[in-house]
Amino acid sequence: MAEVPIERHTLDNGLRIVLSRDPRAPLVAVNLWYDVGSKHERIGKTGFAHLFEHMMFQGSANVEKGQHFGLVHAAGGTLNASTWLDRTNYFETLPGHELELALWLESDRMASLLPAMTQEKLDNQRDVVKNERRAGVDNQPYGDWDERMQALVYPEGHPYHHSTIGSMEDLSAASLDDVREFFATYYAPNNAVLTVAGDFETDAALAMIERHFGPIPANPALPPGPDMTVEPRIGEAVRVTVPDQVPLPRIYLAHRVDPFGTDAFDAYDVAADILGSGRASRLYASLVREQRIAQDVSVFVFPIVGGAAMFSLWVTARPGVDLGRLESSMLAELDRLATAGPTDADLERVRNLHASRSAAALERISERADRLSMYACLFDEPERINTEVSRYAAVDASRVAEAVRAAITPDNRVTLVYVPAEAAA
Amino acid sequence: MTLRPAATAPRPYRFPDVVRHQLPNGLGVWLVPLGDRELVSVHLLTDAGAATEDEAQAGVAALTAQLLVTGTRRLDAAAFAETTERLGIDVGSESSWDSARAGFSALGQHLEAGLDLLAEMLTEPRLDEGEFDRLKAERLNDILQARAEPGRLADERFLGEVYAEGVPYARLSAGPPETVEPLTIGDVRAFHASRYAPNVADVIIAGAFEPDAALAAVERRLGAWSGSGPGHRTIRTAQRGGRRVVLVDRPGSVQSELRVGHLGIDRQDPRYFPAMVMTALLGGVFGSRLNKRLREELGYTYGARCSLDPRRAVGPFIASAAVQTEVTVDAVRELLGQLERIRDAPPGAEELAEVRDYLVGVFPLRFETTAGIAAAIEPLAVYDLPDEWWHAYRSRLEAVTPDEVHAVARELVRPDEALILVVGDASSIGDDLDGAGFGPREVVGEA
Repeated sequence: MAEVPIERHTLDNGLRIVLSRDPRAPLVAVNLWYDVGSKHERIGKTGFAHLFEHMMFQGSANVEKGQHFGLVHAAGGTLNASTWLDRTNYFETLPGHELELALWLESDRMASLLPAMTQEKLDNQRDVVKNERRAGVDNQPYGDWDERMQALVYPEGHPYHHSTIGSMEDLSAASLDDVREFFATYYAPNNAVLTVAGDFETDAALAMIERHFGPIPANPALPPGPDMTVEPRIGEAVRVTVPDQVPLPRIYLAHRVDPFGTDAFDAYDVAADILGSGRASRLYASLVREQRIAQDVSVFVFPIVGGAAMFSLWVTARPGVDLGRLESSMLAELDRLATAGPTDADLERVRNLHASRSAAALERISERADRLSMYACLFDEPERINTEVSRYAAVDASRVAEAVRAAITPDNRVTLVYVPAEAAA
Repeated sequence: MTLRPAATAPRPYRFPDVVRHQLPNGLGVWLVPLGDRELVSVHLLTDAGAATEDEAQAGVAALTAQLLVTGTRRLDAAAFAETTERLGIDVGSESSWDSARAGFSALGQHLEAGLDLLAEMLTEPRLDEGEFDRLKAERLNDILQARAEPGRLADERFLGEVYAEGVPYARLSAGPPETVEPLTIGDVRAFHASRYAPNVADVIIAGAFEPDAALAAVERRLGAWSGSGPGHRTIRTAQRGGRRVVLVDRPGSVQSELRVGHLGIDRQDPRYFPAMVMTALLGGVFGSRLNKRLREELGYTYGARCSLDPRRAVGPFIASAAVQTEVTVDAVRELLGQLERIRDAPPGAEELAEVRDYLVGVFPLRFETTAGIAAAIEPLAVYDLPDEWWHAYRSRLEAVTPDEVHAVARELVRPDEALILVVGDASSIGDDLDGAGFGPREVVGEA
C-alpha cells in the first residue's frame, strides 16, 4: 500500500497544518476540522453547532451570502461542511491553481464572520435546518433511531446524550448572541486543523497559509473540552418499543464500547465487519440468506472519541416473522462470535475487504485530506492514516472474541424495536 | 474589501486515452490503463436492462441481474460470496432501463482472479430457485419500504402519473409488485439465456493493469462466450394529460414532497449540452435559481433542485423539494414561477458563466477514481457516443451561450403542461391546493 506523504507545521497562532502532496491529478483539497461538535452544546442549545455551521456559509467580512459556494463552483470546485458529535469540518476540492481561493474563503470566515451576521440570515438558516430535521428525522420511517439510541446509551447530562440535529425547541431559541459567543469561543486557529492535499508546491502553499491565516488571533481562553466521563458499560438491559409509520419491524441493538482510537475499538471494527459486512458476513448469511427471516442487516461502530463509542446493529424483519425468533437469531450470532471467536477465513475476508475499501476511499484527495484532519484533530497524529490497514490487520481472533465477550453483553445493551403503528395499536 | 485571490497558471487535464477492441464473438473491450493506480475497476455491461423485457414480466431484468451474484454452477451462493470477498472483491450486479451492469473494484493483483469470477458469474450463473425466491421476496419488501419513505413514494408516483398509460417508463425499472409477484425462476433462466450474450456486451477495465495481459485475460475468459442477444426494443413515450395536480395522501406528514415536471429529452437529443447547462442553472448546483429562492431566501426546504434523466427514450424533467407542510402551496407557486422565469429571458452572462465554469472545472474531479473512469466509459458503450466524447466534452459545454440556454428552456420547460405531484398530509393541504388555481386535482391517492 502506498504511503500517504505527510508534512506537519504549526502557525504561531496555534493553527495546525497538515500537507500531503500528490501531483497525479491537477486538483487540490482544502479541509478544516474545528474541534467543536454537538458534544460541546449546553442544555437548551442542542443543534446549535450544526446551525452555526450553516451560518458559516452566510458570508463574512469580504464575502457575500452565497458567494462562498458561487466562487468555488465558478472555479470548478466542490465544497461542503458537516457537523457531528465530536467535530465540525469544512472542505473544498478544486483545481490546483485555485488553492488560494479556498484558503482565502476559509480564512475570511475564521477571521471575520461576525460583521456579516444578521437576524434575517439566522432566521433563514434556522428554517432551513428545521426542514433538514423534518426531511431526515421527523418525516422518515425509522428516522429518529439514532437520536433515541443516543439518549438511551448515554445518561442524561452526558454530551452524547442528545443528537447533532438537535430539538425544534432549542433551534427556535437560538439567537445572534449565541452565534457571537460560539464563534468567539470555538472558531479560533488554535482550535482547528487545516489540511491541504493534492497538487501544490509546498513553499508556495505554506506562504499562502501564513498570509491568510497567520494574522488571525488565537483564543487564549479556549475552554477545556466537555467532561465525557461515562461508565464503560450501561449496566442493565434497556428495551424500548417504538410504534411508527414503518411497513416492516426493525430491531436495533447498541452497546457502549471502547472509544475510537483505542486498540479495543479496532477489534470492534473487525467484529462489526465479520458480522455484517458483505454477503459472506455471519448475520447476512444466517438471517438473510439461510433462515430468510431478515430483509437486511447492518453493523457498525460510531467512531467517536469521548468516554465510550457505540457498537450498533440493526436487522429489518421480513413480513410476518416472529420478532422473538429474529432477535434470538441475532443474539445467537453474537454469542457464537463471543464463544468461538472468528475463523481464519473470517479474518482473511474482512482484512482483504478492508484493504481494498481503504484504497478505494483514499483514491480521492478529499477523503485523504479529511482523514488527515481527523487524525490530527482527534489524536494529534495524522500519521495514523498510514496505519489504518495494519492496525486493522493486527487484530487477531483472540482480540475479537475478547472484545465481544467484554461489551456485547445483555447488561450493556439497548434494544430498540420499531413496529408498524397499526399493529401496535 | 479584500479581493478574491488570483488563480495561478492552470495545469491542463486530459481524459485518459481509451483503447478499444472487439472480440470475434462481438464482445466490446475498453481498456483504460492508468499506471499510477493501485486499484483496477472492471464493469461488464450487457444490453439486458429493463428496456429488453416484456411489460408482462416487468422486473425480470432487475431480478436476473441481482441473481447473478448468488453463485455459479461451480460455486453456490455462500461459496461465491466467500471466494470473492476473500480476495477483497465486493461484486455488484444491477440493472437500469438501458443496461445491466456487473462489476467490481480490487487491488491490481486480483484482476485476473476477479475477472475469472465475473466471467463465470455471467456465463455460467447458478440461477438457483431458492435464491430466486429469496430475492423476489426481498424486492417486494423493498417496494413496501420505499413507499413508506415520502421521497421515494413521490418519485414512483410521479412516473406513474406523468407517462401515458402503457408507456414502460411509467413504472420503476425494477418493476411493480403486480408483475414481480408472478415471476418464476423459469422466467429468469429464459431471460438470461436470451438476453445475456457477447454481441450486446462490453467489458470496461480501468486502473492498474498491463493492457496486453488484460486483453489476453478477457479473451481467455470471455472469448468462448457464445450466443446472440436481441438488445433493447424501441420505447415510445407520451405524457398523460396536461397541467394538473395529484395529491398523494400521507397522513401525519410534516413535510410535503413536491415533484413538478413533465417529459424531458432522450440521450441522443442534439440539445444535450445546452439542456444540461440550463438544468444546472435552474436547479443543479447550490447557487441555482431553485435552491437560492426556496432555501436561501425563503427557508422553505433543505434543498430544491431539478433534474433531466435522458435515456434511450425520453426521460422525465422534474423540479423537486421537500417543504414544510404549511408552505406547500407557496412552494409550488415558487417552483412554477422559476420554471416560467427561465423561459422569460436569457440568463445573465455572469450567472451562466458560474454554472458553465463549474461543469467544465469539475471535469477532472469526476474522474479521480478508477471506478469513476470506468463509469465514464459506460455511456459511450451504451449509447454509442463518439470515441472523442470526453475529449470534446468541455469545449462543447464552453460553447453554450445565454441565447441557447434560453432557447432550450423555451422548448423543454413547459410549466403549462406540468404535472404537480404532492405527497403530503391531505387534511392539511388539500383545500389550499384546490383553491390555489394550479389546475384540476384529479386524484387523491392513498399512500
